[in-house]
Amino acid sequence: MMVNREGIIHKVKETLVTAGSTFSEDKKEAYRKAIAKEPPGTARWVLEKTLENALIAEKNRSPLCDDTGIPHLFFEVGPNKCVSGELIHTVHEGIIEGLRALPGRPMAIKGNDRQRIDQTGGLNIDPGALLPAPIMIKSIEEDVIRLHILLHGGGPEIRGKTYRVFHKHSLSVVIDEIITWANESTRQLGCSPVTIAIGIGRSHYEATSLMFEAMVNGNHNIQNDIEKEITERLNISKIGPLGLGGNATALGTFLKVGSQRASGVRIVSMRPCCSIEPRKASVIL
Amino acid sequence: MNSIIRPITDSIITNHCVGEMISISGNIYTGRDAVLPKIVTLINEGKLEELGISLYGGVIFHTAVSPAGVGPTSSNKYEIESTIPILSRAGVKLHIGKGAISKETIAALDKYNSVYAITPPVTALLGSKILSEKVIAFPELGMEAFHLLEVKNFPIIIAAAHGKSIYDGK
Repeated sequence: MMVNREGIIHKVKETLVTAGSTFSEDKKEAYRKAIAKEPPGTARWVLEKTLENALIAEKNRSPLCDDTGIPHLFFEVGPNKCVSGELIHTVHEGIIEGLRALPGRPMAIKGNDRQRIDQTGGLNIDPGALLPAPIMIKSIEEDVIRLHILLHGGGPEIRGKTYRVFHKHSLSVVIDEIITWANESTRQLGCSPVTIAIGIGRSHYEATSLMFEAMVNGNHNIQNDIEKEITERLNISKIGPLGLGGNATALGTFLKVGSQRASGVRIVSMRPCCSIEPRKASVIL
Repeated sequence: MNSIIRPITDSIITNHCVGEMISISGNIYTGRDAVLPKIVTLINEGKLEELGISLYGGVIFHTAVSPAGVGPTSSNKYEIESTIPILSRAGVKLHIGKGAISKETIAALDKYNSVYAITPPVTALLGSKILSEKVIAFPELGMEAFHLLEVKNFPIIIAAAHGKSIYDGK
């Protein structure tokens, strides 16, 4: 299959800029609901400023946050479609253009293995030099190739956690553990209100992949019973926006439960997405 | 919303208290982990004025200045928070960042009649309030160089002042 190179580069570029500059409609709605519930004071002020920021960023197509994040790509591929090496290469070209257009914060560290770890190799000042994370691909029924682009900021990466939970054949044991993690990480994160993304699987790789998929498909307006429980229990903490106290600690929870191992352990991956995350946008290629 | 215009005097600081939502206009410096310890070294060596930098009545915003814009970084990182007492002694009246700071730092702020404020990570909103920006010192640090921004109606919340913190009891 021939790849429409110019067309795909343009689509990917624009999708990345949208991801970095735009709140989804469900996220805007979640903020409006949170503002309505918060009494006048610093917590409501933070929520109002965060929503105002999103509207300005969307209008200007400029970054929501100066930590513009690391691009993470998720392909959904229909039954009669194929993702070729050429297509992936072209998508990467679009990512480079998108990072330059947003513009992304220069964050690509130069040098060999040692230098990239201790940051002695210097910084590449080209926003487009930032390589995306490894790609995730999943088959779907719809006969399209859909690309989701997410931009992961540093704060949630510091506070995220993937670890084993001994479930003792009880869902509540697993949820209690997640609440403990979410409370601790949200308090430390600072940039609340959060959206808690969770994947539960059989391995660390699988749980993290499921957590990523939860971020891709999650919607603040569509919350199942487990998601609602986690959000409500986290809001009891009254950590509030920016840790200032208040009702809005979490706007929602995005959960994806995968296949499970016949054993006493569940691997849980949790990421406290900050007040402007998940930053995401999708496009059919 | 009340507003502050630089330079900030002692009497202005005395009149502001924790939890106030205000805006600030005028020239503000920026710096974070990489450059603030270098500024402190210049203060200790008495060389700051050689660079034409006057911190008296000044403001320091804990941020990088990149093509993506500005946004608060966590002020409780060691390389940042440890500079707050010395910068306050040198005349900085307002430190803007993010997150809770220690009791020791809050006491130092009180000692030098300086305050700490926070602002949300609202890069697009803050960008709409910046009139100009330029590098003042350490250009080799790129986006982490010591910058001067001219801002109008920058939104902040007073988070630590006169020995109290907005995070007390939270």
